Amino acid sequence: MEVLALRKKGNPAKKRTIAEINEKIRKRDVQVLTTEEMKELVESSGVEVAYKEVDIVTTGTFGAMCSSGAIINLGHSDPPIKIHRAWINDVEVCHPGAAVDLYIGATISSETRPFEYGGGHVIEELIRGKEVEVRATAYGTDCYPRTKLRTTLTKDDLNQFYLLNFRNCYQRYACATNSRDETIYTYMGKLLPRFRNATFSGSGALNPLMNDPNYETIGIGTRIFLGGAQGYVLGEGTQHDPGNRFGTIMVRGDCKKMDPDFIRGASFNKYGTTLYVGIGMPIPILNEGLARKTAILDEEILTDIVDYGVPRRERPKLGKVSYKDLKCGTITINERKVRVSPLSSLKKARIIAETLKSWIENSLFYLSSPTEGLPTDTTFKPMKQTEEIAFVNNVMHTAVTCTEDDEIKVVAERIISRSVNHVVVSDDEGRLRGIVTSWDITKAVAEGKKKLSEIIVRKVVTTTPNESLEAASRKMAQHQISALPVIDHNRRVLGIITSEDISKLLGR
Amino acid sequence: MKTMVRILLRFSEKLVEKPITAQVILEHGVPISIVAAHIDSQGGEILAEVPSTHVEKVAEAFREKGVIVTFPRLIEVDSERCFDCGACLSLCPVNAISFKEDFSVVFDQEKCIGSPCGTCVDACPARAIRLVEQHGSV
Repeated sequence: MEVLALRKKGNPAKKRTIAEINEKIRKRDVQVLTTEEMKELVESSGVEVAYKEVDIVTTGTFGAMCSSGAIINLGHSDPPIKIHRAWINDVEVCHPGAAVDLYIGATISSETRPFEYGGGHVIEELIRGKEVEVRATAYGTDCYPRTKLRTTLTKDDLNQFYLLNFRNCYQRYACATNSRDETIYTYMGKLLPRFRNATFSGSGALNPLMNDPNYETIGIGTRIFLGGAQGYVLGEGTQHDPGNRFGTIMVRGDCKKMDPDFIRGASFNKYGTTLYVGIGMPIPILNEGLARKTAILDEEILTDIVDYGVPRRERPKLGKVSYKDLKCGTITINERKVRVSPLSSLKKARIIAETLKSWIENSLFYLSSPTEGLPTDTTFKPMKQTEEIAFVNNVMHTAVTCTEDDEIKVVAERIISRSVNHVVVSDDEGRLRGIVTSWDITKAVAEGKKKLSEIIVRKVVTTTPNESLEAASRKMAQHQISALPVIDHNRRVLGIITSEDISKLLGR
Repeated sequence: MKTMVRILLRFSEKLVEKPITAQVILEHGVPISIVAAHIDSQGGEILAEVPSTHVEKVAEAFREKGVIVTFPRLIEVDSERCFDCGACLSLCPVNAISFKEDFSVVFDQEKCIGSPCGTCVDACPARAIRLVEQHGSV
């Protein structure tokens, strides 16, 4: 301690200020590295040298950011209208304000092309300079008598066209996979059955917030790269969770100046539409600590592998993985190699960090001092719920079972004596082998079949005890079946749930 | 490992009855593996793989027997729309999609099996992937 104190005294730790860095930008004398270059420099020359030589480190990310949208002002029509509901290219937009301000939410799907086209695409097309069709209805007032409106316009016809995203740029995100027997379509993309693939989001060590994890330089008013233009941080984003390294930001930027290369409408099949947003942040290297933090490596950033096959708030975690492993393309789940793909574009993240670097070097971008930092002590609470939700384990009951070697006659008798419609076929260890219904038995008798093995349905749709009843009935409806065996993660039969159980519960 | 090349064989109604593929295999002693096939009395198509070293000889042999031989593009990627996220990578059963050094997404047309699969198509957030319709669709 004493040595350290002495050294500090003799050689006072130099600090940079944002004003000094901006002066260097003006004189074109600023040293800017992308975060990948910074990592190399720290690796080769150490933190001290890196701090001495580097003024700014640029970061980048380009990913699906669903909590995004744009606020537009149409100007007044004549006679004027106080819009009640409105659509742009058949995508319903929301009307949160006075008369002609609309918010285009990225995730709202087109009413005519659901899952294909949505708010994110409308924003992209407007940025591209394309014409869009606006329809609106209103109830009519003395001051705003008009009740219907239809017009076409481009971004040049709008008074304001601002991206206003309330949650962007997650510091890191979970890696998603799927334990179910069927492919599922999620906001983490298409997940194949039985852990056959995995996906992840975020740019890891390139991520802006990861390079300044205590938000020393990021806060209200921080100027950033946003969608190819200059934008600003408005503060922390919704669900900001700094304690768990899941920080987020709220941002604003002028869409009229944006570049469609860095802002794209996108659609996740059977989930919905979204907006891919490009964000880059300059991290001023104000002190040696920031030089060290911006050298963070992908292998130091860990995240959970999460089973999205369980549609619950707390999804099972299957292990931890680093962004280095994720970017390599293969991870290990349950001792098996699983291929993993990003949902964010790492190529674009790099281009963003490079672009921001060149803006600064060419005096096109100056740093701003945040007026207030992002909070570092807030938490992300779950929803308070006042209604009880039923789960499969609330209604499941013991399944009537048989083995593959049983005779059809025995199974038929069991159906009668236990008055059920479904018999679950299991092996010696109680693992699911198939299912037989009273209909299958009837059919077998009619066709003169003797062996149970000939009529077993082997591709069985199943459920787990912690699945919500809503999700379970959704499965039954989707597959047009009336019962689901309940199994554990080793496929051992725990019970059964039938559509009758659900009807009884609803009728209660 | 030998590299295999895909060829699309198109048979007219007249040729359907003849064991042409078997004949080519026997006459030239070349292994031909059938990836996908659709044949009925009206004619048909076979998507086959042949060793790259013999592809010209095999194509010529089929052509001599009246078969239309093409080297199909099974998948089309709109490079304007694709923003190189890579969501498709882990879905491809034949590893036809990969990253270049700079994280650009590249499709290997020779590995792709096209319409019998199509797993990546509906998973593309940019809707940039399209299966190329083969005549009479394999």
